[in-house]
Amino acid sequence: MIRLTIDGQTVTVPEGTMIVDAAEKLGIEVPIYCYHQALGPLGACRMCLVQVEKMPKLVTGCTTPVAEGMVVHTKGPAVEKGRRGILEFLLINHPLDCPVCDKGGECHLQDYTFRYGPPAGRFAEAKLERLKDAPVSELILIDQERCVLCQRCVRFLGEYVGEPQLMLKGRGVETVVAPVDDRPVDSRFSGNIIDLCPVGALTSAAYRFKARPWNQERHPSVCPHCPVGCPVTVTAREEHVVRVEGRPIPEHDWGWLCDRGRFGYDFAVAPSRLLSARVAGRVVPEVAAVRHLANLVRTVREQHGAAAIGVVVGGQHSAEDAFYLRHFAESVLGEGVRLAVSQTVKGYLPLALNGTYDDIGVADAVVLLGSDPYRAAPVLYLKLRERWRRDPQLVRWGVGVRPLSRPTLPLRELRVGPQEMAATVAWGLFSQRPDDEGLRLLTESLEGWQPRDPEGARALAATLLDSQHLVLLWDGKEPWMEAVLGVLTRLRGEKGTRVLPTFGPPNLRGFEWAGIPARWGALEDLLQATVRGEVRLLWVLGADLLREIPDYALAAQALERVEHAVFEGLFPPEGSERFELWLPGAGWSEEPGTWANLEGRLRSVAEAVPPPGEARPVKSLLTALARALRQPWTPPEWNPYLGAEGGLLPREGEPTAPARLPRPEPTAGDLYVWGEPEVFVGGYPSENLRPRRPSLLGEIHPVDAAAWGIGEDGGELGIERFGRRWTVTVRPSAAAAPGMLILPLGAAEAPVNQIGEGPASVIPRVEVERR
Amino acid sequence: MFKTVKALAKGLGTTLRALTEPRDTIAYPEKRREYAPRFRGKHMLARDEDGHELCVGCGLCEAVCPANAIRVVAAEAEPGKNISWTDRYSVDYEVDLIRCIFCGMCEEACPTNAVRLTPFNELAAYSRLDMIADKEELLHPPVRK
Ligand code: SF4
Ligand code: SF4
Ligand code: SF4
Ligand code: SF4
Ligand code: FES
Repeated sequence: MIRLTIDGQTVTVPEGTMIVDAAEKLGIEVPIYCYHQALGPLGACRMCLVQVEKMPKLVTGCTTPVAEGMVVHTKGPAVEKGRRGILEFLLINHPLDCPVCDKGGECHLQDYTFRYGPPAGRFAEAKLERLKDAPVSELILIDQERCVLCQRCVRFLGEYVGEPQLMLKGRGVETVVAPVDDRPVDSRFSGNIIDLCPVGALTSAAYRFKARPWNQERHPSVCPHCPVGCPVTVTAREEHVVRVEGRPIPEHDWGWLCDRGRFGYDFAVAPSRLLSARVAGRVVPEVAAVRHLANLVRTVREQHGAAAIGVVVGGQHSAEDAFYLRHFAESVLGEGVRLAVSQTVKGYLPLALNGTYDDIGVADAVVLLGSDPYRAAPVLYLKLRERWRRDPQLVRWGVGVRPLSRPTLPLRELRVGPQEMAATVAWGLFSQRPDDEGLRLLTESLEGWQPRDPEGARALAATLLDSQHLVLLWDGKEPWMEAVLGVLTRLRGEKGTRVLPTFGPPNLRGFEWAGIPARWGALEDLLQATVRGEVRLLWVLGADLLREIPDYALAAQALERVEHAVFEGLFPPEGSERFELWLPGAGWSEEPGTWANLEGRLRSVAEAVPPPGEARPVKSLLTALARALRQPWTPPEWNPYLGAEGGLLPREGEPTAPARLPRPEPTAGDLYVWGEPEVFVGGYPSENLRPRRPSLLGEIHPVDAAAWGIGEDGGELGIERFGRRWTVTVRPSAAAAPGMLILPLGAAEAPVNQIGEGPASVIPRVEVERR
Repeated sequence: MFKTVKALAKGLGTTLRALTEPRDTIAYPEKRREYAPRFRGKHMLARDEDGHELCVGCGLCEAVCPANAIRVVAAEAEPGKNISWTDRYSVDYEVDLIRCIFCGMCEEACPTNAVRLTPFNELAAYSRLDMIADKEELLHPPVRK
């Protein structure tokens, strides 16, 4: 630790801290442009000049590490003169754009000039003209005249994300920021450069001219688009969400977002949004719809009892909504109502094993068990990459049916067959610890079976057992992996073993906390009971069952069989004609609530805008329903937080006990259909993000592509599975393994859950063309 | 008796004298008063010589207004169809003349000199809504007779 004095105050900071950070700790502001803690020092803009005693000239506070006994002045005539000079230089060619500039009112150049700048510049020459309002992508505009050349954008994409798509072009006064090779900046983290740009040089096309800092409201909130649950700030103006920004949380989160979260807020005004209630496809007043639902409830309850009612809640709701639902089900609907959460995979992770993002910061080994965080949980991927950049020794494994490595985060690969991951991991562990009872039980059925890469499996097992702090990311596809993780945790004993589940509806843990059974088994039971005719009224809230459920056939059968299906949510679901009653629901930002992310961390989502049309929050819907049923019900008070906002759910319970793994079956067929989450495909519709949605959804290995006559630009592929034929668009991609057809979950054109995961045969091209 | 007559005469005298004195009131609306050149009345939005609106919808008037009387909504003009002299313009510009205290700060804050307070001060309406001047109204300022 080092002691130094800044403006007469003494502060103690760790060695290697920069002066600006030490000053920040004291609450002393030193103006900065180019420096960012996550990006490291650069010293490009000279805005942070400070005076250090015994140093002959002013120094840049962002590149000068503190030293014992240093005496720093951030005020005084010398510093003020320095800052004035820098600002005068920065403004030489800066346009007088503030009135039409989207950064106006929250611009560091405005603020610093106002606070530290000269009253007027001395340059009378004409200003240089450069590119203005030019798109660097469909989502972001650049105004080179406003740029202060701090290089934050260039460095963020190039160094931090590892996708160099912006660069400095030209020399001296001619230097500008420009896209590399004039290609669009389409990194999925590109939106962060808008937040990073200290001036109005990089602005959001969607937010263009929409609001000003004084006529908008900013609400702290959480992104609803994937299980990562990044903290965001939602900007609303005149009852519309107009912008989403990252919300840094000191010590925890830099405030990075992926473009899905930053630009995907426009789903609230999507044309397909459900704005009024419908009975059998006809628009009816909301009151009539509630009365209709009350009648259904009454009839079903009188004839078959409350156990004939099933409620499924999905990813569009808050934990409070789920709590109200459960309470309502128990106290109004009656005993025995079945509740379940909609699922995208069959796996479940006990909270006891659940890790946090802070675990990544101390991990010495990271193992991806089927998860591709880049696609399924983008900002989690950034966190992993940051960890690897800090510690190149970090042991990294990618275990999956396809390569999970990317140039920006290389991994040691272990290829497993479909449905063979748990077996492979358990097999490897058993080979290292043959005397362990739990492992013996797990692998009992694997007698004589060998993974595809036995050497790799053993090496992976060594990492799993020997690393000090192990972080695993799990895709949740093989439910029996849960038992393997339980045994692994027990075997590792005191050493940290933390799992991050990258699956599930975004608020899965919130629903669980509210008391809704969160395992696949609960949903399966409910649907099976429906198929058996025990459940007569199925009420689905905020879940697109037929689009996301891993067992499509079961859900389809259940919806076919059930007497009355009722839907509440934001968008008409897949197979919407099977629901006799649609109720428009209030969604994210339209009602206050609490969401839990994959860490099991609770954060509040603010109410930023009123729900559109006749959409209403679950709470008010339930109150109305209770009144229609003539049963009094007051929404109970519930505080989901144990401590402060941002706290974790309690890690209770024991790791799962070992049980015999199913023996992997050999697969036949031309291509194995495999579904994976991709944030830009599944989930809410977004007009803003249309250009980012891949036009060719499927991916096959280039060799397969050649074999099936798919050119480099991709094309259509006909496949047959369970006797049904499908045509999907595919592209050759190195991300697919030979013999695999990777499809994103939740796409209507290629509904992978409906096609069904498993071997499919390819319909020869000639036949496809003839059709 | 005499006293009464005297009082009456005095009163009449005062009245007769006042009849010849110059008047303080004017015959409004036939006649109107001269105002100071910088009198602040109802707002207007100005255009430049080419007929382009000066207002770019920056919202500074909205920010500065102590009475919260202004609402500005900006938008981007379609390429080649500029409404103001640049591609940003105000789609909505409203002044609530009931709230306005005619301080003139909006005029002062405007970087393009688009919003100006005219001497027009004949503000009356039968409903509150009519007292909210919209953009159309402000672009066509009434002339004071
Ligand atoms: S970047 Fe800042 S200083 Fe420059 S025009 Fe925009 S608001 Fe004004
Ligand atoms: S565009 Fe913005 S972030 Fe990038 S160098 Fe210029 S000022 Fe910095
Ligand atoms: S990573 Fe997930 S939570 Fe974070 S911004 Fe992207 S979609 Fe939202
Ligand atoms: S004159 Fe004053 S009170 Fe009236 S609109 Fe302008 S700033 Fe607001
Ligand atoms: S912030 Fe220190 S040189 Fe840019």
